[in-house]
Amino acid sequence: MTAPPTQPIPLPRKPAASTASLLIVPSLIGALVALALGIYGRVHSPTGIAINIAGFSSPGTVKSWLATGATVFAIVQVGSALVMYGKVPRVTAPEWIGGLHKWSGRIAFLLAVPVAIHCLYALGFQQYSTRVLIHSVFGCLFFGAFTVKMLILPKRGLPGWVLPVAGAVVFTLLVVIWLTSAYWFFSTFGIKA
Amino acid sequence: MKRNTPLITLLVGAALGVVLLVASMLTTPSSALPNYSAAAASSAAPASSAAPAESSEAPEPAESSAAASAPAAAPSPAPTRTTPTADFTGRVGGGGGSVAVAVHGDKAIAYVCNGSTVEGWMRGKVEGDKLVLTGKNQTHLTASYHAGKVTGDVEAHGTDYSFSVPTVSKSSSKSSGLYQATAVVQGKTIKAGWIVLGDGTQVGSVEIGESGEKAVTAPKLDVATMTARIGNVVLHAVPVSGVTGSGF
Repeated sequence: MTAPPTQPIPLPRKPAASTASLLIVPSLIGALVALALGIYGRVHSPTGIAINIAGFSSPGTVKSWLATGATVFAIVQVGSALVMYGKVPRVTAPEWIGGLHKWSGRIAFLLAVPVAIHCLYALGFQQYSTRVLIHSVFGCLFFGAFTVKMLILPKRGLPGWVLPVAGAVVFTLLVVIWLTSAYWFFSTFGIKA
Repeated sequence: MKRNTPLITLLVGAALGVVLLVASMLTTPSSALPNYSAAAASSAAPASSAAPAESSEAPEPAESSAAASAPAAAPSPAPTRTTPTADFTGRVGGGGGSVAVAVHGDKAIAYVCNGSTVEGWMRGKVEGDKLVLTGKNQTHLTASYHAGKVTGDVEAHGTDYSFSVPTVSKSSSKSSGLYQATAVVQGKTIKAGWIVLGDGTQVGSVEIGESGEKAVTAPKLDVATMTARIGNVVLHAVPVSGVTGSGF
């Protein structure tokens, strides 16, 4: 109140505070997204049925292929990001790399959405095995993390590490949910269309 | 404009999700679900997906698909009816589901299930080494059985499967076999069936109502406790076995 001249260490605090303030709203929204998905998956009674996509033998195969597609595009994401950040020796970023990164990300996300909807609607948040529990938790976290990443992308003034870390988190989550679903599915039942 | 594209991506994805969700809700047979979902609405982990992992998606093949196309009629050289009681379980040809056959004296019970909507219970007589079993909704099975194996065709919900499945091996898994459970949920009878294979994988479906027309993926059967949960309703499963006569 009286504003005593005690110094609250101004220099390190300022950038930290602004980073935090830039991240807090996206992070909260992302957390809410993850939480909402988890609660819906848990409370909604799984139907075991959802719309199917023509041309595949079962929802499991559709989902496995969509998830695999999303994961492949996610690998493109990491590769193009490495190029953009100049992390690949002797490769200079071509001008289309930004477009590749954006579109591979969009496609990956849009491929993942139907999978998630089927999971949430037909199967729900489950915990009857470690694989399924990990998949359920990480599936919710993935969409939360992706939301955070999308919301902080346009923000200026973030430290350089934020986007790579966010991207790495999103990618890691996606790979884990792929391993605990499509990879499991294909290795258990064979690769089929 | 450029600044907003990530947001647009998010919103497009969210919109796609909503559209698919609504489409799924519209697709789901409404008559089938009320009792099931009402029953399952508690927070008690409606496990309907035990099966999903292992059944709605599961019934993919693995083995037996090649063997399965053997025609039912093929007469066994020497009708080796070693025993009048036997239990058989296995995946159908193509792997789209599992079938279980229990033979007890001159009677037999069979169940075929793809882990979701295609399933059916059948009963009938044993004549020689031939089985002709029928159930609701034109579900039917014809097969011949020999020592160690039953081979034939089964049709349920308009889906045809051929199969050639072995006897339940007591050594491989003592929980392998056919199980059923019935319960009355909100005035509707539901009947669940599970086929547990020797490797521990299971498929199961729940018929809703007496007609047997509507079925959904069954919650996972916990073979240790012989129970499964649909919301706060606990189903108690009993084996259907020709060897022990249970369920006949």
